[in-house]
Amino acid sequence: MTAILEVSNATRNFSGLVAVNNVSFKLNEGEILGVIGPNGAGKTTLVSLISGTLSLSRGDITFEGQSIATLSAFRRARLGIGRTFQIMHPFPGLSVLDNVAVGALFGQSGTSVGLSQAREQARTQLEFVGLGDYADQRADELSGPGRKRLELAKALAMRPKVLLCDEVMAGLNLVEIDEVIDVVRRVRERGISVLVIEHVIKAIKSLSDRIFVLNHGEKIADGTPEAVLSDPRVIEAYLGRSRRE
Amino acid sequence: MKKLLPAILLALGVVILAAVPWIASDVVVQFGINSLLLAVLAQGWNIIGGYCGYPSFGNSTFFGLGCYGVAIALVQWELPFAVGLAFGVALAAAFAVLLGIPVLRLKGHYFAIATLALALAMSAIVSNVEIAGRNIGLVLPPLNNDPLFYELSLALLIAATLTVFWLTRSRFGFGLIAIRENEEGAAVMGVNTTLFKILAFTLSGVFSALAGGIYAYWITFIDPVSAFDIGLNVKMIIMAVFGGPGTILGPVLGAFLLTAVSEVLASEVTTLAGLFFGLVVVAAVVLMPRGLTDVFHQFHKAGWRYFLNNIRAHRL
Repeated sequence: MTAILEVSNATRNFSGLVAVNNVSFKLNEGEILGVIGPNGAGKTTLVSLISGTLSLSRGDITFEGQSIATLSAFRRARLGIGRTFQIMHPFPGLSVLDNVAVGALFGQSGTSVGLSQAREQARTQLEFVGLGDYADQRADELSGPGRKRLELAKALAMRPKVLLCDEVMAGLNLVEIDEVIDVVRRVRERGISVLVIEHVIKAIKSLSDRIFVLNHGEKIADGTPEAVLSDPRVIEAYLGRSRRE
Repeated sequence: MKKLLPAILLALGVVILAAVPWIASDVVVQFGINSLLLAVLAQGWNIIGGYCGYPSFGNSTFFGLGCYGVAIALVQWELPFAVGLAFGVALAAAFAVLLGIPVLRLKGHYFAIATLALALAMSAIVSNVEIAGRNIGLVLPPLNNDPLFYELSLALLIAATLTVFWLTRSRFGFGLIAIRENEEGAAVMGVNTTLFKILAFTLSGVFSALAGGIYAYWITFIDPVSAFDIGLNVKMIIMAVFGGPGTILGPVLGAFLLTAVSEVLASEVTTLAGLFFGLVVVAAVVLMPRGLTDVFHQFHKAGWRYFLNNIRAHRL
């Protein structure tokens, strides 16, 4: 298996605070890689470092063998890195359809797509995530779960090679979680490699091929879901607390 | 037919506007030139402020640069008017690109304040430039042809409005709206935010500069205080927001209506005109914060409750 995305020794400081400390990992082609960790472990920072909305303090990130560490966010997007936001970031004044059309217009090969074509592609993506009936609503009229799906559709419309999912299941009920798991699986079937950041352990366990764990900005374990979730350090850092509850 | 009707009405409106110099008095034509130029400024502001979401106070600077472009070309170099317009546009475009790069990194209030400071600085700088007539200003050769100025202004307004119409159905315009709605979200979806913002600022500046150039030749005298007037920038924002920012016709309607209201007030209730104008604007902000266009779209659904809902929604 070849790595499509490789993060090496990624470090990010916010003045004194080290949010991500010397983290290295590879995302292989066609893989679903899970990232778990307690609140404040640096998961979202890691996604922002890869998507380019934050810059690295130290380290490097390569995408398809080329360093992307100094590229701006929009260039990384056009290379094929799509992300969703944990705090949902729709374009509130636009219709659901046009939210997604922005991805088709500006993502990979976006320059050659006309507006009506982009809307057509957007409609396909909305149906893919199950939002087909909401296309003409304003994005800020969508419910929380609807917005999570919209985040996915927006990222998918860019035709990414890598999809970074930042807590797309947080705040969903069990039925909705299963539906999103199904969507992510079908995303992978389309040949897209997926990095899933999640709080919901059960979901990520059944979804991921591999998992790694962040705690206080550092990677403390990685491997298959079973191995990682039985690692005593992980239980202490993360699961231990939730078992006592 | 339902789609065709607005287009026919619009075409009719343009024809009537174009015929004004032949059917109306000189005073009306002069009032018309003033309103049309203000509408161009409001429409220009609409590109950066309404579509891209950056509340620029620098557009009066573009207007001033347009004024001085024409004045310097006509007075100091004795070149034709068209060359002066082009010179003014070039100045405004250079200003938009060079200063847009640092200033467009700021957001919201900070962007507004920075552009405001630039506008104030420009008036001080130009007051010390020999070729611009220092703080005395420049007197342009008069061209007593108000119908020509009127038609030029109308043509410019049509060009600006067609540009905004194009924005609403182009990739570029979609990018601008995405930036307005959520800049970080736009960047991770592949929108080159820096480039788009600078292009929008420049496009906005080009129309303001053209309006300034026509104004300078029409009024035949400019000095730093009148050319770089912050009050003008406030006016164009009020007009665009009153009409409906981020819509095609809102800023034009806002400009026409507000210039008419202020004109009537100024002639009817001379002493209190300023106060009444202020009241009109405050009432508009409270009752219809999303502008006239939104009233047109929502009023038939909600009726008079539309205004009540707005008051409630903003807890006023």
